[in-house]
Amino acid sequence: MPLATLVTMWSALPLLGGLIRGDQWWVPAAVLMTVAALASALYRWWLRDSLAVPFLQSFAVLLLYTPLFAPQTAVVGIFPTLDTLDHTLALFEQGVHTIDTNAPPVSPTPGLGMIIALVFVVFLMTADFLAVTARCPGMVGGLLLALMLVPLVVDEAGLGWGRAAICAFGFLALLAVDMWVRGREWGVPIPSGHGPESRAGAVFGRVGIAAASSVLAITLALLLPLSMPSLSSDAVFTKAENTQFGSNGSVTTTHPMVSLRRDLTSASDRTVLTYRTDEENPEYLRTFVLDEFDGEDWTMTPVHAGRDNNADEALPLPAGREGEPPEEEIVTTRVSMDSDTVPMDFLPLPYPARSVEIAGDWYVDESTLMVFTTEAPPSGYNFVVRSARNRPSAQTLALAGSPRSLTDDQLHLPRELDARVQELTDSLVEGTETDYERALALQNFFTDGDFTYDLNPPPVPENADPLTHFLFEDRIGYCQQYASAMAVMARQAGIPARVAVGYTSGRPSGDDRWTVSVRDAHAWPELYFEGSGWMRFEPTPADPNSGQGSASPPDYGSGSTEPPDDEGSEPEPSPTSEAGDSPREPSPDPEDDESAPEEGPAAAGTDEISSSDGASPVWAPIVGIGIAVSALMATPALGRMFLRWSRRSTMAAGGATAAHAAWRELHDTCLDLGMSWDLAESPRATAKRLASLSVADGGEPTEVARGALWRLALAEENARYAPEPQGGQELGGDLDAAQRALLAAASPGRRSRALLLPPSLAPWRRSRTESKPLPTVF
Amino acid sequence: MSLGTQHDGHGGDVREDTDTVAAVADRVRGAIETVIEGKPDVLRIALTVLLAEGHLLIEDVPGVGKTMLAKALGRAVDCSVQRVQFTPDLLPSDITGVSVYHQDRNEFEFNPGPVFANIVLGDEINRASPKTQSALLECMAERQVSVDGRTRALERPFMVVATQNPGDMEGTYALPEAQRDRFMARVSVGYPSPQAELDMIDSHGSRSPLENLASVTNAAEIRDLIERVQRVHVAPGMRRYVVDLVNATRTAPELKLGASPRATLHLVRAARAHAALEGRHYVVPDDVQTLAVPILAHRLLPGPEAQMERLTAEQIVAKLVARLPVPAPR
Repeated sequence: MPLATLVTMWSALPLLGGLIRGDQWWVPAAVLMTVAALASALYRWWLRDSLAVPFLQSFAVLLLYTPLFAPQTAVVGIFPTLDTLDHTLALFEQGVHTIDTNAPPVSPTPGLGMIIALVFVVFLMTADFLAVTARCPGMVGGLLLALMLVPLVVDEAGLGWGRAAICAFGFLALLAVDMWVRGREWGVPIPSGHGPESRAGAVFGRVGIAAASSVLAITLALLLPLSMPSLSSDAVFTKAENTQFGSNGSVTTTHPMVSLRRDLTSASDRTVLTYRTDEENPEYLRTFVLDEFDGEDWTMTPVHAGRDNNADEALPLPAGREGEPPEEEIVTTRVSMDSDTVPMDFLPLPYPARSVEIAGDWYVDESTLMVFTTEAPPSGYNFVVRSARNRPSAQTLALAGSPRSLTDDQLHLPRELDARVQELTDSLVEGTETDYERALALQNFFTDGDFTYDLNPPPVPENADPLTHFLFEDRIGYCQQYASAMAVMARQAGIPARVAVGYTSGRPSGDDRWTVSVRDAHAWPELYFEGSGWMRFEPTPADPNSGQGSASPPDYGSGSTEPPDDEGSEPEPSPTSEAGDSPREPSPDPEDDESAPEEGPAAAGTDEISSSDGASPVWAPIVGIGIAVSALMATPALGRMFLRWSRRSTMAAGGATAAHAAWRELHDTCLDLGMSWDLAESPRATAKRLASLSVADGGEPTEVARGALWRLALAEENARYAPEPQGGQELGGDLDAAQRALLAAASPGRRSRALLLPPSLAPWRRSRTESKPLPTVF
Repeated sequence: MSLGTQHDGHGGDVREDTDTVAAVADRVRGAIETVIEGKPDVLRIALTVLLAEGHLLIEDVPGVGKTMLAKALGRAVDCSVQRVQFTPDLLPSDITGVSVYHQDRNEFEFNPGPVFANIVLGDEINRASPKTQSALLECMAERQVSVDGRTRALERPFMVVATQNPGDMEGTYALPEAQRDRFMARVSVGYPSPQAELDMIDSHGSRSPLENLASVTNAAEIRDLIERVQRVHVAPGMRRYVVDLVNATRTAPELKLGASPRATLHLVRAARAHAALEGRHYVVPDDVQTLAVPILAHRLLPGPEAQMERLTAEQIVAKLVARLPVPAPR
């Protein structure tokens, strides 16, 4: 058995083959596992005992570990020293780093090899314990499943069927060896007296059971979701739309655009967060940056969490800016998240943030300055963020040179983009000289009225490109469409661009306080200017009735190409008053009060429409659930019925198998009815006990039943112990009579339980003796 | 299909054999029951031991019919019965026999002792000295007697029915465990039920019913039955079951001394006989379970814990039997 376990674990090694390059990485794992399995096998064979096996295995692995992984630190090549421990820690660190930082397939490093080897050895020892000591080889399947999940979760390519098949084969081999060992313990199996045909019948019965139960399981798995019409309603649908980020298992989150739309269309105007700042015109709070365009959607480059990008120190310098901004340029914002909000794992921060004070493990993405966590964030946390002002003058922007210092390719666009978009961009930027002018031209194209702001744009027809549809067909959309389109066109115009998602600055609620609610969710393009970095633009209309009410175009984007010089120096009070006259106006209180009620019913209306669209008739889910529940409830009964049927067909074949089938059916009936069944009882004794039971409880004339039980017992006894079991008697009638008598003896409660939830199907209810008097060691 | 039985060719015959055994045994049982009433279990064990070529130890208080049982058995089977009353001054030669010098013929003549019989009744065996006890026990084990350098085989069937009073009675030398091991089974007759005792007054009142007991079979037929019994089938699972059971007595924490390999052999042989007595040509767990206590209990020594809990060897064996799973197909 230990060797069979070894083979099984060997067969699990290829599961990781897709994740690691090279063909040598598995050697240490295989060697260590072999040693551990041999230790187990030898010890068990020698001493017929299993107590010390884990210790012996650990010792053997330890002995071999040093020469394998840390030979230079060892004494005489074998004995570990203190250096070995340090070396191990270093290796471990290296392995973790490899796993953290690389996307699969990773190149094998010694550290990775060590981690894999140790994991597999621990798995092997567990498997050895489960399969050999505890005699439950089926449980090893759980370990294999865990290993199988690793490539499924980590690698987008998934798991090749060949590798899965090898692993499954190993597992089946383990089960087969276990069956063989168990069979050997009982000596020669008692064959049926009826030659091949009854054996074929028995095999047919067994295969039939297996086939039918698998068909039933698969059918249920397929049909159950279908019979739940409510599953396609809005809430689950948006969840299903979630895209997983961080294919390396580092960070996953809902697709920002999905949560954005959910927030914008939500019926209530919940507060998401409040913050205090002494800044008069606070920046937008940016949560996500989408910097890859795949022709249809903007998505996020996977971010990675690691030790090297902790957010507890000063954040990295924002791209395009030289040096740390002076102290007076720093704005401190104290944000407190509302405790009712779904906890965010990406922080809403003004750009560019310089440092964040927050409890927990948070990481920063270097190129985008997004701050995120990999753990489940607490709800209602507070944090303090210090950020630099980002309001260069229009002149500064106009003088910006070509984007030199940008390392990433932020101009990339898929080739299959509609040519009309390029033409449109070209026509818009015609006659402009600088990037800044081009950006303004693009922004003006969106704000100049040809577009209609609507949170529920008409659906894009199938096969139509959403971008071209928005630009050329209906020109209806909300911030997502505006921002995406402008970012694409900016890239076409040669300006590095990306889409930011987050919240607008919200509305002031007095005393430096600002309140941001769910409807302040927003998306906007960020364009890159050398020397100033990423700059926010605002193509979305800022009209409270037909636009993002709390949106505000930045000063540099207001269209005044010749802003006064002093506008660049933000700390002075005068620009802020000027900014008050600028289109940021919608945010002040009176208009805020107006906009809120107006937006409320509109959003509520759209919400109603969407819910009536998505909701199916009320009865459908109820009926579906009813059917599913009753199907689920009927499953045990059906399984038991099928078992009964297959045994009956086996019994029709006659011979020893017939007697066994009848006896097993009687056994299961007893278990179903809650009667005890002692494995130490011989068939005769059982029959006698059952007969007396039915007399005692039922009081019926049970002569027939008693005779039937007795005949069943004798047939089983004959089949088990006679040299040439004779068959031929008709046991069906006897079984019927016996079962009737047992049913009559049972209480009604027991009877209904036997029908609906037959305990005989539960493996843990199988009868067993209280304790084995002798330890069976083979 | 190879079942590993040594009598595969006699499938049909074995069934006939066992029918014959059952018929004869029924006759013997019926005959004895006219003398010993209300003790069918004891009788069945006695017959089992006879057919399994073992020896029987009857242990009970005086006067419950130990001797009567042995005598009735001998009478029902028409064979020679010798009785030895063991006393402290009994010598080994009183059992095996002595060579006597005949002056006229100028040679020694062997006078066979009481052990030269089919059924030897050793009454109150624990009253004799250990030396004498061991003389009998040697005969039991080897089925032969060596006197003056000559070995003489004993007759077949040969069965010693020894009776003894329970351990702590006056003037007794309890059989050591090594010697108890040679007996196949130990039974105790026990007091009769009130009804049986009433009947006994009627039947035994005037004269012994033994005199009316006619023999229903003879030694030759018993030898034949013994042959037939040996062909009873013991399935591999059943053998394993017996071994497991005996093994359990060795590993049970309650027991200081477990059963010997000889006990295993005795148990299998007795189970065969028991199955044949019931007219079955194969052994079932019930045979072993019924016989486990009489065949195993007297060989075991309960440990101190068992004595503290006042568990007898019989109770421990019964517990082991109740815990050991019967062989069943998986």
